[in-house]
Amino acid sequence: MLDRIALTLSVNGEPREIRVAPMTTLLEALRTELALTGAKRGCNQGVCGACTVLLDGRPVRGCLTLAVAVGEREVTTVEGLAPPGQLGRVQEALEQVGAVQCGFCTPGIVLALEGLLRETPHPDEDALREALSGNLCRCSGYVKILEGARRAVEAAS
Amino acid sequence: MQAEGAPTAMHYAEPETLAEALSALSAEGARCLAGGQSLVAMMNAGLLAPPVLVSLRRVPGLDAVEPREDGGLRLGAMARHFEVARLQPRSGGAEIVVEAARRIGHPAIRNQGTIGGSIAHADPAADYPTAITCAEAVVQVAGPQGARAIPAADFFHGYYETACAPDEIVIGIEVPPGPPGARAHYEKLMIVDGDFAVVSVAVMLAMERGACSFVRLAIGAVAATPLRLADAEAALLGTALDDATLARAGALLAEAADPVDDMRGSAAFRRKLIPRLLRRAVAEARAKAEAAHA
Repeated sequence: MLDRIALTLSVNGEPREIRVAPMTTLLEALRTELALTGAKRGCNQGVCGACTVLLDGRPVRGCLTLAVAVGEREVTTVEGLAPPGQLGRVQEALEQVGAVQCGFCTPGIVLALEGLLRETPHPDEDALREALSGNLCRCSGYVKILEGARRAVEAAS
Repeated sequence: MQAEGAPTAMHYAEPETLAEALSALSAEGARCLAGGQSLVAMMNAGLLAPPVLVSLRRVPGLDAVEPREDGGLRLGAMARHFEVARLQPRSGGAEIVVEAARRIGHPAIRNQGTIGGSIAHADPAADYPTAITCAEAVVQVAGPQGARAIPAADFFHGYYETACAPDEIVIGIEVPPGPPGARAHYEKLMIVDGDFAVVSVAVMLAMERGACSFVRLAIGAVAATPLRLADAEAALLGTALDDATLARAGALLAEAADPVDDMRGSAAFRRKLIPRLLRRAVAEARAKAEAAHA
C-alpha cells in the first residue's frame, strides 16, 4: 500500500484538498482526484502539449509537474476559464471559426493562448505561432486554430 | 492511482536552506528536483525511480538572473529558461547563452526548466551545455566539503555525467562576456521544432578589418559532451572566414566528432551536417560582429 500525502492545491481560484502518492503528476491529480479531465494525457513526456495547464498564469506541462511540488502556486485548468456552460475568450474564438475537431488537443491549445494573452495583450503572428509551437494537433492542419487565435487577439484588443 | 512507470515509494523534501538540501541529498539514491522537465519525464518513462527527491524550489539564493557589470551573466541554478530567454545580451558570452535558452523545447518547457537542471543532467544534445562550453562559463557547485568553481570545459564528463558528485548541487553559473566586439550565434538543426538538436553549433567570434580576430566553437549532439577543438578554432583565426577555410575547420570537427546513430539521424548524417551548420553559424555571427562595427 502506497503512502499518500495530503495536499491543498489552489485550482481555478479555490483551495482543493487531495491525497496522492508522492510521485503523482499534477495531470494525474487533476484528472483522477479532482475530475478535471480537460487536461489530457497524450505523450506523458512533455512533448505533445495536451496536458498544458497554467501555473501562476504561465503555461506548463501538467505531466511534468509533480502535484506535491505545486505548493502555493495557482493552477488554472480549462474548466476555470469561464463559468459552467459559458465559453472563455479563447474558447469562443476557436469555436466561432470551427477550430475544434476531435477536441483532444483543444484544452492545451486554449490554455497556451490564454497564457500568451495574459502576458502579451497584442501578440503578432510570430508570437502566436511561438505560443502554439508546443501543442500538437493530429486532426487539423492548425490553419483554423491560428485563425481562431487571431480572432481571440482581435477580440481582446 | 500512480503514473505508469512511477516508483513505488518516494520521499519528497522541500528544504529551505542549502545546508538542509545537502543533508537531504546525502540519502541513498536521492536526486535533486529543479524544473522537473527532464527528471519527471524520466520518471514517467520508468527510467528513474528516486527513493528521495530533494526540491530546490525553496532554497534561497538560487534564482538570480543578473546581467553583470562587465556584460556577462550571473545565473542561479534555478533560473528558468524563459527568464534567461528574455534578456537583452550585451556581450558575446551572454548572447550565446541567451540564444540557446530561446531554443530550448517549447514555451511550456521554458516556463519550468532551469539552467542548473539542464547542466546537471548533461544531455549532450541539450542546448545549455553547448552554449556554456562556448562561453567558457564557470559552474558553481556546493557540497558537504564546501563550494567549488568548475570551468565548463571540465564540467561535462560523458552522457549524463558531470563533475558534480551525487552529494553535490549545482548552485549557479557565471558567464563571462568574452572580448569586446565579440558576437555569437547558436545554430540548431531539429527534425521538428522544439526537439533536441540533431546537431547544434555555438559560435562566438570577433572580426577586425575583415579578418577573424577571435573565435570559439562548440558543437552539440555529436559526442558524449559538447565538442570544442582548438585546431578548428586555430584554422579560422586570422582568416577571412572564406569557404575553403570553413570547410577545413568543418572537416576537422567532423573528424573529431563521435556521434551516435539514433532516431534523429545517423552518425554519418551528423558528421555531414557539422561543416554545413558551422558555415551557417559563422555567417550569422560574422554579420552581427561586422554590423556592430558599421
